[in-house]
Amino acid sequence: MSKPHYDREHHVKKATGIGDPQCFKGEAGPAKFKVGDRVRVKDLPDIFYNRCQVYTRGATATVVELVYESPPAEDEAWDNCENPEWFYSLVFKQKDLWPDYSDTFANDTLETELSERWLEPA
Amino acid sequence: MSTSTRDKVMQHLNIVGHLQPALHEETHAPAPDQIDNAHYRAYTRMAHDVGGEPDVPIRWEEKEEEVWEHNTFVTCECLAWRGVWNAEERRRRQNVDVGQTQYLGLPYYGRWLLTAARILVDKQYVTVSELSNKMDEVKKRYE
Amino acid sequence: MSDQHEELHQPAAMVDEVSEFEVLELAVRELCIEKGLFSADDHRRWTEYMHTLGPAPAAHLVAKAWLDPEFKKTAVTDGVKASLDVGIDWVNSMPTNFGTPSDYCNLRVLEDTPTLKHVVVCTLCSCYPRPILGQSPEWYRTPNYRRRIVRWPRQVLAEFGLQLSADIEVRVEDSNQKSRFIVMPVRPEGTEGWTEDQLAEIVTRDCLIGVAVPQVGKTENDKRPVRPAVNPYKH
Repeated sequence: MSKPHYDREHHVKKATGIGDPQCFKGEAGPAKFKVGDRVRVKDLPDIFYNRCQVYTRGATATVVELVYESPPAEDEAWDNCENPEWFYSLVFKQKDLWPDYSDTFANDTLETELSERWLEPA
Repeated sequence: MSTSTRDKVMQHLNIVGHLQPALHEETHAPAPDQIDNAHYRAYTRMAHDVGGEPDVPIRWEEKEEEVWEHNTFVTCECLAWRGVWNAEERRRRQNVDVGQTQYLGLPYYGRWLLTAARILVDKQYVTVSELSNKMDEVKKRYE
Repeated sequence: MSDQHEELHQPAAMVDEVSEFEVLELAVRELCIEKGLFSADDHRRWTEYMHTLGPAPAAHLVAKAWLDPEFKKTAVTDGVKASLDVGIDWVNSMPTNFGTPSDYCNLRVLEDTPTLKHVVVCTLCSCYPRPILGQSPEWYRTPNYRRRIVRWPRQVLAEFGLQLSADIEVRVEDSNQKSRFIVMPVRPEGTEGWTEDQLAEIVTRDCLIGVAVPQVGKTENDKRPVRPAVNPYKH
């Protein structure tokens, strides 16, 4: 069996002088969500790798920014860059994440970024 | 005074005897009827996903950087610069693929370092024989 | 703590023999260079680039924004563009000319207000805006900080000496993808008429992470124990 060949040039060719994630701009197609939308984080299977914190699963949040387009971490972790997605910045009420969070601090929030596959309308 | 290989073996067995899987169970490697979906999820959890786990307050410390820590970081960035891996592949390997024991047991840059060695072997840029010989040779320089 | 526990965590042999980490680091680096994966010159250039890094550019970005409302607008909407004014080009300042592989090129500046306080963590990997803030502190990398700050932020902030009243919204930023974050704290009273350099001096690294707030007369992070290195790297 011959040794595998890895393309070590594709990222440098794409990103030089532009930057990452800027180099994926325009590749994700229309965004499914807009600023102000209420979304729920899907509890997709945890198989091998992802960057969607388990503590966010099933919780609702508000989209506060469409931050960039990029291959999702789950694909890029094996150098698969063919299917970029929109990434959204989301704000959660802490009370919606942690049942024991004090009522005194009900205004406290948490912000994090997730790609479109992790979100559904709430 | 250098420690003999057999002493090191005994010390190693003493340490690994104290390692535990994430949950303490009566038997290790359970039969399928002994593991429900909640336990499957616990055992296959990604070691990096620690947000919200209960823990006790600790002393917040700064730390001097070791020479090897600095060099490891630079090596990992050079490997990405020259296309051997991308940062997401590095993060996947060093924060999840290493497993819970190494994730929690090794220093932060220790995981970076093991992962840098591993990518060379996994992608067949270096054989394990070459790596092992090189390590042996480097060790001898210090004797 | 039992003696046995001490023994497990205090490998005294580290002091008088080369560590496995040092051996492996040298082996990996030499093999990479021998196989042509990168050059010794690449490694040297990246080390030189690391020597240029620290929190000063981020502190100046905040100071500049405090002084110039137009610049502040740019900073909060386009952190990468604003960074250019403090000498940091997120794409071209580093040897790659495509940004640093690990920190990407999407800085977001989080603006505090009198009723909103940000604090940054990366629960998944301790990612950090190195190009504008330098290397991360050890405490920021600990699983302990990453576990607790997202769920008990007020308790953790109190451990850092920051007590916040209930009318202030605490917002934890869990940096988990390609964006990197710095906090733009509220400009403290008593700094009227100060220059950018004077203001930048009180915007410490801890203020930029969000575990401290700027104070007149305080130009350093809180004193904490420093764990010494066996073989320290001289910056």
